[in-house]
Amino acid sequence: MAAVTLSNVAKRFGNFEVVHGADIDIADGEFVVFVGPSGCGKSTLLRMIAGLEDISGGEIAIGGKVVNDVEAADRGIAMVFQSYALYPHMTVEQNLSFGLRMNGNPKADTERRVKRAAEILCIDELMQRRPKQLSGGQRQRVAIGRAIVREPQVFLFDEPLSNLDAELRVQMRVEISRLHKELGVTMIYVTHDQTEAMTLADRIVVLKGGNVEQIGAPLDLYDDPANRFVAGFIGSPKMNFIAAKVVETSNSAAIVELVNHGGARLRKPLGAAFPAIGADVVLGVRPEHFFEAGEGDCDIPVKADVAEHLGSVSYVYADAGPEELIIEREAARQRASSDHFTVSIKAERSLLFDKTGARIR
Amino acid sequence: MRYRNATAYRFLTPYLLIFAIFWIWPIISSFLISFQATRTVPWRFAPTFNWGRLIGDPAFFNALKNTLLILVIQVPVMISLAIVMAVLLNSPLLKARGLYRFAFFAPVVVGEVAYSAVFRLMFSLDFGIINKLLNSVGLPKIDWFSNVTPAMALIMIAVTWRWAGYNAIIILAGLQSIPEDVYEAATLDRVSKVRQFFHITLPLLKPVIVFCAVLSIIGTMQLFTEPFLITERGGPGGGTETLGLLLYRQGFRSLNFGYASAIAYTMAGLAIAITLVQLWLTREPK
Repeated sequence: MAAVTLSNVAKRFGNFEVVHGADIDIADGEFVVFVGPSGCGKSTLLRMIAGLEDISGGEIAIGGKVVNDVEAADRGIAMVFQSYALYPHMTVEQNLSFGLRMNGNPKADTERRVKRAAEILCIDELMQRRPKQLSGGQRQRVAIGRAIVREPQVFLFDEPLSNLDAELRVQMRVEISRLHKELGVTMIYVTHDQTEAMTLADRIVVLKGGNVEQIGAPLDLYDDPANRFVAGFIGSPKMNFIAAKVVETSNSAAIVELVNHGGARLRKPLGAAFPAIGADVVLGVRPEHFFEAGEGDCDIPVKADVAEHLGSVSYVYADAGPEELIIEREAARQRASSDHFTVSIKAERSLLFDKTGARIR
Repeated sequence: MRYRNATAYRFLTPYLLIFAIFWIWPIISSFLISFQATRTVPWRFAPTFNWGRLIGDPAFFNALKNTLLILVIQVPVMISLAIVMAVLLNSPLLKARGLYRFAFFAPVVVGEVAYSAVFRLMFSLDFGIINKLLNSVGLPKIDWFSNVTPAMALIMIAVTWRWAGYNAIIILAGLQSIPEDVYEAATLDRVSKVRQFFHITLPLLKPVIVFCAVLSIIGTMQLFTEPFLITERGGPGGGTETLGLLLYRQGFRSLNFGYASAIAYTMAGLAIAITLVQLWLTREPK
């Protein structure tokens, strides 16, 4: 087991910098998920940790040892690839043992490791099959098994579930979580799916355009995002953003007017930072943080456009002037489409962002 | 025939007619001719005349020996060379890859007569650059056209030069279809590049290599141009005469079409048999 430390890590392809000085500390045994949209640099960062990409700047340390110039095979890591990267011409057993056999590992030890991995992943009965004779989920297990037999200090997962169907993805998510508990090793997992990030991670690293936007526990990121990007990226359905203008400030609060909602005003208590009067701001409200009319600090009328009934909960996609709001409502199953109703926003259940997307606290 | 397909078949009719007249009919006709004595006028039906002669004909066995010798030596050398060329072409370190790809493929598009003439000049005893190069490194001149072994080597060199690049391009396509992350997984497994080549690249290229080998076997069984043009009709003294050349000699110089047809069917049968054996030996395990 080992801690992983990234200090000011940068990656350039020619003159184009794709990762701009990332600083991330991953504790021994921690499950950290790198999440972000396509092209944010999350896979590049993972490949740099693996040693499959050169590091253009900064340092990567695994178990306290700087590994910038250490060969991939000597870093004590194992990686599970998005496409599984199984050797198509080998049986499952040969896939699992290939690396050990090539390195002259004693036969008895190789057999022990392969058997243990097969037991952990319940693939004992698939050992003589070839990858093309396996389902997607089974291939994924074999890919994980190949990582397990290496007995690495750090597991790296590069979008391992993205080729699976929704049901299998949920199942494998649980299995990976269970595997982490069982093995207790450091795991770094890359995904663009924030649900995977929220459900698997001890901590999440949110990336955008090669920058680390925020690092934190899943619920910390959900409840207390550092900026509008993180607020919008974490959470499904995503947070609503309502255009507003600061009309008044006092010692402890700013009064904002929701510009597309007939001048509705909300008094938002703030800490030290106060925006200027007249400044354009954005109010962030999660779908579940809309209340019945009169229950909050500011009411806004909306017109239900489409409702999605998920059983335990319903999401109403509502027109509110030029903005579309997603509202979670238990009562929505009774509400007909094209229905007009009023929702209420509570100041303490909303977030304020400035024009650049930075959080105003 | 469904009505909606009728138009398609009407458009295909000219091709199908030409195909039937110049392809199907000669195949059937030559099979029938192989059972006829064609040195007499009129031709007469004599089932064992040509096939019986084939079994005891030293010229046939000489041509068969030469063809199989080329097959056994030249095809494996060429395929091995093609694999090496494909791996080099696929290297990320290689600059001007497009240029090399063109250069390797170019021999195929050069006219057969032109390239044969150039090879004759290059390997000429007194004026050829090859003998000059041999002399320059202290080796004696070789009379490539008067002795059987050098002549056979020359045929193999020429065929290899012409077709190795072509096979390399096919193998390169196979190489590029192997996913990069399989190699990355092997790198993480601490498998050296050489072992990756033997344990990953070669097994995954097997279907493409088999395809190239089958094409080459068929091509070699029909080998004609090089021994005809470079070593002057299979010289010296029939030392490079192949089955293709023997067929030509019997059919178009001696006008013995019956015997030529029997040789043609023997060539086809051998090509099919060798290919089937090879496919069986390299079959995928169940």
